[in-house]
Amino acid sequence: MMDKIIHVIIKKINLFFRGIKDFARFIGSIFKSFQSFRYLRFRSIYTIAVNQTRFTGFDALPLIILIALLLGGTIIIQATKNFPKFGIEGFVGNLLVIIIARELGPLVTALIVVSRSGSAIAAEIATQKQRKEIQALEVLGIDTVLYIVFPRIIASIISIFSLIIIFDLVGFFGGYLLAITTVYIPLDIFFQTLMESFTLIDLFGTLIKSLVYGILIPLICCYYGFKPESDFQIPIFVSKAVVRTLVVIFLVNVLVSALFYF
Amino acid sequence: MDREIRLKFDSVTCYGSHSISLIDFSFALKESENLVIFGPEDSGISLICPLIVGSISDFEGTIYYRGRSIKDFDYVELHNYRTRLGYLQSGYGLINNMTVEENILLPLRYHSQLSIEDAMRKVDELIKELKLHHCRNLRPVDLLKYETLNTAYARAIALDPDIILLEHALENQCLINAQVYLQSLRKRIFREGCSVIVVTYEPERYTDFADSFIMIYKGNKVFEGDRGAFLEQRNPYLRQYMEASLCGPMKIQ
Repeated sequence: MMDKIIHVIIKKINLFFRGIKDFARFIGSIFKSFQSFRYLRFRSIYTIAVNQTRFTGFDALPLIILIALLLGGTIIIQATKNFPKFGIEGFVGNLLVIIIARELGPLVTALIVVSRSGSAIAAEIATQKQRKEIQALEVLGIDTVLYIVFPRIIASIISIFSLIIIFDLVGFFGGYLLAITTVYIPLDIFFQTLMESFTLIDLFGTLIKSLVYGILIPLICCYYGFKPESDFQIPIFVSKAVVRTLVVIFLVNVLVSALFYF
Repeated sequence: MDREIRLKFDSVTCYGSHSISLIDFSFALKESENLVIFGPEDSGISLICPLIVGSISDFEGTIYYRGRSIKDFDYVELHNYRTRLGYLQSGYGLINNMTVEENILLPLRYHSQLSIEDAMRKVDELIKELKLHHCRNLRPVDLLKYETLNTAYARAIALDPDIILLEHALENQCLINAQVYLQSLRKRIFREGCSVIVVTYEPERYTDFADSFIMIYKGNKVFEGDRGAFLEQRNPYLRQYMEASLCGPMKIQ
């Protein structure tokens, strides 16, 4: 029994490292594809980048705004109700910056992008592969890594950065508007504490997180999109793409926060 | 005047999946020459086009393009080499989220030095030649089979390739509808000095313009000859194949 368990654990560890090695090979192929970067005509990837930005960024706006409003409102209501009990009601702005700007903004935005666009990227590439569209691009002399992965990374970085900023703004101001329906907070005090709490490090941290998420989300989802060898494997790899990207996002979030705020 | 050898297989041996292989396979294709390669499903003909375009790199022997081994091409050279081939692949491989017009424009947009206006002019010419006006804004899912064939063919020849590779292009196609494609192919062969390799199960469809025929069975070349030899059908393998008979030197499982 014990032998079996150890055997399964060893097998899982082996599989994990094999997966890491394979992903490293995929990253290597991306670096290799930069050899043909100077021949790349931007007009050929422009439409893909614009469409991806529209889908990942613009089309996600209603969802981002709604979730930012609800989260911002909840945090402000909780803070204004409970902070006075501890005599720290003047720290509402600090709390908002710490929770929304530093952590929830980037994290929730990344989660929404992974669930909407990450799954779409993996499914689209997997379907294109099964329909031999990827093969068709290759035999047309098109560098599929540059043509498929590169515009998605560009679009993802632009979209995630913009969405995080919008999430933070809506979280602050919309949350405030929602909160004043239940508790009274003087507007000037709210904004004053908010401005005092927000530093350049917060802005830089947001920028780094959007850059890292913007690269990792399309990269991992494209990697899994290229994996299926038959139709029935498509949902398996799309699911893997979403779940593993989520795990990586949480890990990266902790790492970047530790790097900036410790 | 001797015509230039565009493509040459020199003792190529390759093992694919499902025990499909090519064994010590050789041929040379000259400028303006048209070669039809055919054989049963498990004969190894499915390896020919992937070998030529460099999708399969694990093989013995040498494939030369204009005197240079394609194994010697670096990453960028391999991509450039592929732009000199017009490959109409089996299943056509049209990009489903692009219209007919965008599919044909794709290689021009990616590779050519043409401005978008000039590239569009070229697309218009191809659309006119292949009679695709009525469906130029449709996506592949809305196309009929011959429209899909014509679009894939237009995309394959958009960059005026040196060699056109046609892999099972006419399979499952109505011969009357496919005439526009065949006319365009003839025009390209006779007027523009293009070489063509056709990989097919139905070689008889190309008898009017093919210069030579090669038949493969279990990875080996069992017939090679010109149009006359093909039509005479003296070779027992060829005769069995053309008669679609189970009796003969080929053991069909």
